[in-house]
Parts: sequence; structure tokens; C-alpha cells
Amino acid sequence: MLEARAFEPEFLRKLDRLVLGIKRARTIRAGNRTLGRVQGAGIEPENFREYALGDDLRFLDWNAYARLDQLSIRTFRADRQVEMTMMVDASASMRYPERDDKLGLALALGAALAYVGMSDNDAVRIATFAAHRGAMRLDATPFHRRRESYIDFKPFVSAARPGGETRIGAAVDELLQFRRPPGIVIVISDFLTSQSEYENALSRLLAARHEVKALHVLGEMESTGAYPPGLYRIRDAESGVMRETVFDSAAAEKIRRRAEQISDGIRDFCVGRGIGYARAFGVASLDGFIENELPKLGLVR
Amino acid sequence: MGLLDPRNLAWAAALAVLVAIYLRSRSRPTLEVSSLMLFDDVPAPVASVRQVHLDPLFWLEAAGLCALVFAAAGLYAMTAKAGMRGHSHALVFDVGAAMGGSSGAQGGAVRIDEAKRMALRILSAAPAGDEFSVLTYALAAHVAAPQTPNLAVVRGAIEALAPLDVPARASALRAVMMRARGASEIDFFTSREPDKSALRDAALDSRVNLHLIGGGDDNLGIVSLDAGAGGGSKGRIVLRNFTGAPELTGLAIDLDGAKVFDEPLMLAPREQVVVPFGPLAEGGLLHARLKHPDALLADNQRWALAPLASTVRVMVLSPDDSVRADLARVLLAISPNFQVETASPRYFHPDPKARIDLAVMHDCFVPGINSGATMLIYPPAKIASVANLTGFRIDGTADQSTMIPLAAPGTESDEGSVARVSLDSTRMMRMPAWMDTHRWALAGSADERVPLVASGEIPSGRIGVLAFDIRGHLLLDPDRLDALVATVGLVKRLTEPVGVRVVSTGDYVNFASTTPVKVTRPDRSVIMVRPDASNRVRIRPLEIGRYVVEIAGAKSQIFANYYDAAESDLASAAARTTSVSETFAVRSGTVAYAQRQMEPLGKVLIAIALLLFIVESIILVRHASRWSATHV
Repeated sequence: MLEARAFEPEFLRKLDRLVLGIKRARTIRAGNRTLGRVQGAGIEPENFREYALGDDLRFLDWNAYARLDQLSIRTFRADRQVEMTMMVDASASMRYPERDDKLGLALALGAALAYVGMSDNDAVRIATFAAHRGAMRLDATPFHRRRESYIDFKPFVSAARPGGETRIGAAVDELLQFRRPPGIVIVISDFLTSQSEYENALSRLLAARHEVKALHVLGEMESTGAYPPGLYRIRDAESGVMRETVFDSAAAEKIRRRAEQISDGIRDFCVGRGIGYARAFGVASLDGFIENELPKLGLVR
Repeated sequence: MGLLDPRNLAWAAALAVLVAIYLRSRSRPTLEVSSLMLFDDVPAPVASVRQVHLDPLFWLEAAGLCALVFAAAGLYAMTAKAGMRGHSHALVFDVGAAMGGSSGAQGGAVRIDEAKRMALRILSAAPAGDEFSVLTYALAAHVAAPQTPNLAVVRGAIEALAPLDVPARASALRAVMMRARGASEIDFFTSREPDKSALRDAALDSRVNLHLIGGGDDNLGIVSLDAGAGGGSKGRIVLRNFTGAPELTGLAIDLDGAKVFDEPLMLAPREQVVVPFGPLAEGGLLHARLKHPDALLADNQRWALAPLASTVRVMVLSPDDSVRADLARVLLAISPNFQVETASPRYFHPDPKARIDLAVMHDCFVPGINSGATMLIYPPAKIASVANLTGFRIDGTADQSTMIPLAAPGTESDEGSVARVSLDSTRMMRMPAWMDTHRWALAGSADERVPLVASGEIPSGRIGVLAFDIRGHLLLDPDRLDALVATVGLVKRLTEPVGVRVVSTGDYVNFASTTPVKVTRPDRSVIMVRPDASNRVRIRPLEIGRYVVEIAGAKSQIFANYYDAAESDLASAAARTTSVSETFAVRSGTVAYAQRQMEPLGKVLIAIALLLFIVESIILVRHASRWSATHV
């Protein structure tokens, strides 16, 4: 399985050289978009200000109050840590084509990016999503910050199995219910769902002030249409709908163009909204993709 | 239409293989894909292909295979027989006792001989190529000679025919007519008008030539012989005159060779008289005979056993007082020589030295009784493990049962009871092969047929079983006399003298033996009979007289009696030969059933199959030329 590659030492040594390409807040400035923890959660004092109604009394400076008889609130510099969530699509469509191991590729990419994210001690987690019988199931690991705990992702990654429907919108809704501070959300999916579905989902993540990146995964066979020629009945893995079709060179060309069309639609949407987009179509070499393709696309530096 | 060997229809599995191959060739692999979205632009096949559609090649192959399968199974058609071919004749002979009667006046030809002469004349007059079969019936149907064109074989079978001292049964007539129905012509030799329904049941729309032989012959017969109960009671013999005129005869009765009665008697036309004799001073074998010969000799002799004057010790054991009293009354009525003792099994301790002739045990079993015969009435459920009766089993008890009559209405039997008698508690017994079941009952919720009265022999003596309970004075109930009759019959069986049996012709007589048994028949001929798997020899006397059975040096005698009111009445219609084909209403078309023959269709079917395969080849060649292919 391809996801096992993400935990091999040789592969991890290559990842050591990479840094996640994200916008990180260095200071808190009003009006600027920042990533990181909320004010007051850090340990480095920054300033004092007058107490205002609603301020957390834990940060009241009692010594100053004793001396000056004034209520002052201590403020701290925000941490540089960013919460990163790898949302990996684990729906049934990720099972096919079986030869290409799409889910394995998606999990390996998610784990590799998590490892890269841990280089700055950022809080990282991996989540898988799929809707089973109409109910969204979003499984996520706890946040891990240090690379020593990277191996803790392995049981989760190894246990992930494809099944259910691709419901990105519902998965995003579920994720936002945690009300975590804005961070980075990397959605790794084949995006074989309706255009409105993934557009709404990504827009809601942006609205929640997350930095969003989309990693589009497709198998080589389905991105090139290289099915063995002949008369077939094809069955949709998620809906179970069947139809008859004939695979030949013309059909392969049509399938390839259709995959390009879907990919272009997602890319255009992402570019228009500042969402990082990368596509991994039939990635034969995971290493090469991580080292060469992702830096070009700005996901890592 | 029919099939000579339907088992060969198993070749039809080839059709299933053909269908499987066809479906496999028409099926398409199913491919799971991540989403049909990717295939939106890929068009579906122009024609949606069905799993099974009208493919002429497939149907041609299927039809060809069907034809071959039917050819292998031997499909045949019934066709009219070609005129130039010989006819088949069935010669059916009644070999019942009446056919042994003298035809016409006393001293005339025996009926069966006259029938044989007529049959031989038919045989001689038959054109070359005709086939004959010889069938006989009395108690059962029998093929004396299968259908053959070899007239010597047929002639030999006819000449070997001999009448039996048993009545000819309607069921046997039906069976023999079913066997004869395949013949184009049936010659039926009998002395009585046959049951027309038997001919109708056999769907005999062929020509049946009925040859009625004899008629108006004088006959007197002994209906029954009863030696009396002993102890001063008189014996009785019943005689019947079957002729329409007064008849003078002489009646002689002797007991073990000693004369008991010898007087001339005059019987009025068709009169039945009861002649008393005795009383007999002692028991033994009683032999009665009519001294004046008449047309039928089989019913002129009769044997019976006179009860011995010696005391017969009977021990009655029952936990019920009233049952003990009832049984004692019944036993004393059967024979005054019975010395009956009764006891409750709880207080009875058997003495192995005291010899008891008959031990009657009701709802109990006391082992260790030194008895010559044992009668078990309503035996306890655990008896199988105590009594050492191999194969005997009691499966349970039914609250009620219904005794099945001995003779169903319409059947021929000299045993008269036809009313069904309800019984109370009845044991559901399973009889071993070495026991003979004499009466049956319907019992249980599913009206299961269970044995009711049975008897057999074990090394220690005879044993009889009555399955029903006789509590509540059942034996004295006038509405359920069959229960009393069955009980009395079983007691008589168990107390018969050892070494002598008197039976009716056609009855089975069983002997326990592990070695072949030598049987000397009344005509002095000797046969050896091998025992069956149950170490039992079954003998069925078909002639009146004495049979001597020799088992390991010990000799037993069987005396077979014959009487049948219908069979002995020889005064039937005058002899005539008639065609009765017009009498039987079953008619269909001009070609009669028996004039049809089987015509195997194997060659035709193979020809059809070949034709179909040639057509298939032509279609393939045409397809090939259309595709410009050089090799197909």
C-alpha cells in the first residue's frame, strides 16, 4: 500500500528539507489576516492595556492594580504555531481504479505534508471523511506538534479504508463545528462530485478564515482513459448506477478530456479565490511528486 | 408417444451447457469505476444487447441437441400396425377351481381341458407370423408364456395348464387383462361371466373373444366342517346343493381313520343343510367327504381338527379383575377342555416346573412361565426389553383405533366382516418379519396403519399379540364382535395341535426354519423351499389335500380345504363362444389401441438433428462470405 511509504525513514529524510509554504503571522496587527493562536494564548508578554468589559480576568495584572488601583490586562505575543488539517477523501470513489491506489496516494500525501508541517512545530492532524448512508463520518487524529510524534499517525493512516459517498460540503460543516482557530486546511480528494458541492465547501473554509489548499488526486487509468478495449458494463462505485459502454481509443480520448475538464474547473475556481491547487494524476513516484511538483505549486518550499 | 429409456434424458444436461456457453459469450464484464462523471462523453453502444435474443445459430443448435437427446431416450410413437404384419394374440385362461369341474354331464371333459383344446384350435388356425402369449389367473395373474411367434412354446404352455383349488379373484382378472391389453386380439377362456368393469378398466377396445366353458353342471359341496367344542357338544357339517334338481349323495366322516358318520343324504334343489354328528369322544383330525363324485371334486372333501379331550391349562394374568373374568368366560366358551386359572400379575409367581399350555397376559408380562404358547393382550410398553422378542417394538399408545375389516366391500373373500369396529386404547406396535399380522387398525392422529393381531413362533413356542385393550367388557360388547372374533381366532391359532394345521387353499402357512424345508404335495411331488432372511418358510397350498412339511427330520402336516360359493356354483350359462367386443363401450376411432405398435423415432430425430446442423453450417458460410473470411 502506498501510504506505508510515508513512514519510511528514507522518504522522511527527503521531507526534512521541505517547509510548508504558508502565510504565517509574525505580529498581531489590526486589519491583517493572521494565522495562529488567539491573543493571550502565548507566553511572550507584549503589552498592557486598560481592562475592558469581557476581558478574561485570568490576564488581569493584579500587581499593577494593587499599586495603581487601575485594572490592566496583560497581552502576549501570539504564538507562531498554525493548526493544519489534512482532509483526506476516503469515499468509495477513492478505491478505483484499484491498480492506482488513489486512497493510498492521498493518505501518503496527507501524511507527508503533515510531516513537513511539523518542521515548525505546527499542530497537525489528519482527517478522513466519507458519508455512509447519508451520515457524514469525519474521523480525525489528535493534533501533533513534534516530529517525534509523527509515527502516531501511522495507525490511523493504515486503518483508513475507502467507502461511502464523497460529501465534501458535509465534511467541511462537520469540521467547522469544532470552532478551531483559523489554520490551514488541505483537502485531498478526487473531487468527483458536483461542481457546486466542492465550490461551496471550499468557500465555507475560506469564510472561516482558513488558508485552504486543494490537492486533486486521480488514478492514471481514469485520467488517461486507458481502460482495456471492449464492451463493458461500468458501475459507479458510490451510487451503484450501471451503464454499458465501449472502451476504445476514441473513448479513451474522451475520458482524458473529461478528466482535464473537471481538473480545469477546480483549478480555475481555486486560482480565483487564492486557494492553492495541485493535482496528482497517476503519480507513479510519490517522492518525485513531493520533491518536484509540490514546490512548483507553492505547497512546500 | 413415449420414451423407451427416460434415464437417457440426462443427456439434456448438454442443453444446459449450451445455454451456459451462450450466456457466457453474451455477457460483458462489469467494471467498477470511481464515478460515471468521467464517462459522460463516452457514448453507450448503439444497440443495447439483451442477454438472450433471437440468435438463429443458438436456436438451431438447441433444436438439434433436443432431437439428439430424444433420440437417445428412445422416443417412440404409437402407430397403426401395418396390415402385412402378424397379429398378436393373448390367450387368457381362468385357472380357478371352477375350471377343474367336469363340463356337461358327469364324467365329461374337464373344463380346463376343453379350454385348452379350443386354444390349440385357435393356435392351429392362426396365420404364420402371428404371435401368441398365454396368461392365467386365479388368486393372481401369471404369464405362462410371453408373447412369442414360436407356436411350439405356446402349445407347451397351454398343455401344461392345470386348474388350482382356489377361487378366481376379480383383482387377478384385472391384472391379467392389463397385461393382455397390448395384444391385438384376446381369447378369454373362463367358466363364468367375467366382471365387465375389469375389461373396461384395462381400456380393452380391442377385440375380446370370450369363451364360456361348461354350464349347468351338477355340484355338491361341503361348505364347512365343525368338530364341536368337545365335552359332549355335537359337530356340524354344512352341505350345499348347487344344482337345480334334488341330489343324492353319501357323506362319510372319520376321525383319525375311525368312522364317525356314514349315511346317504338327499338334498333339495339348491338346498343348504346342516348335518349334525357326534359328539366326538376324543380329539384328532376329522375328515369329511362326499362319496358320490360330482362335477367339482375340490369341494367334496374337508378337514377339521377336533379338540383333544385332554385338559388344556390356561393361565390368565391381568391387573384388572373384570378382564380376567371376561377372558375366562371367552376361553371356556372356546373349549370346555380349557382349565382356566386367573391371577393378578402382582401376586403371581411362576413355577418353572409347572407346564402351562397357554399363558394369556393382559397389560402385563411375567417372565419365566413354562408355557407352550403365550398370548399378549395390550402388552406393556417395556415388554420389548423384557420378553426378548427380536424386532418387536412398541412405539406408543393411541387413545382410539379403528379395526380394518378383513374383506373390503366388493372384494372376494370367505371372511365376512366388513364393518369397522372402534377400539379404545391400542398399542402402536412394530412387528418383526418372523411374525404374521392377521388384522390391522387405523390409529393415531394420522390414521396410521398399525398391526392389531399378529402371531409367530419362537424357540420356546408360539406367541400371539393383540394390540388393543379389552377393558370395559370389550369382548362381551355385541356391537364390537370383531374384537371377540379376533381374540377367539388368535386363541385357536395358539392352541392348535402341534404338527397339524388345517388351512384354506391360498392361505400362507409359515414355519420357522434355518435349513431348506422339504414339502410333499398332495400329488406326491416333492419340492424344497429355502427359508427367507427371517428364517421363515412360507408355503401357500393351492390344491386341496395333505401337505407334509419336513424340517430337520420333524414332520408337520397341512390340510388344505377349499370352498367358494361363487366358484363352486357351476350351474352358469351354457357353453358358448362369443365376441364381446361390442359390449365394452370404450371405443376410439377405427384403429384399436391393441392394433397399434411402437414406432421408434430415433432415426427420424437424428435426421432432423443433421438437417438442423447443415442449416447452421449454411448460415455460418453465408456469414463468412459476408465478412470476406476465407476460413470459418
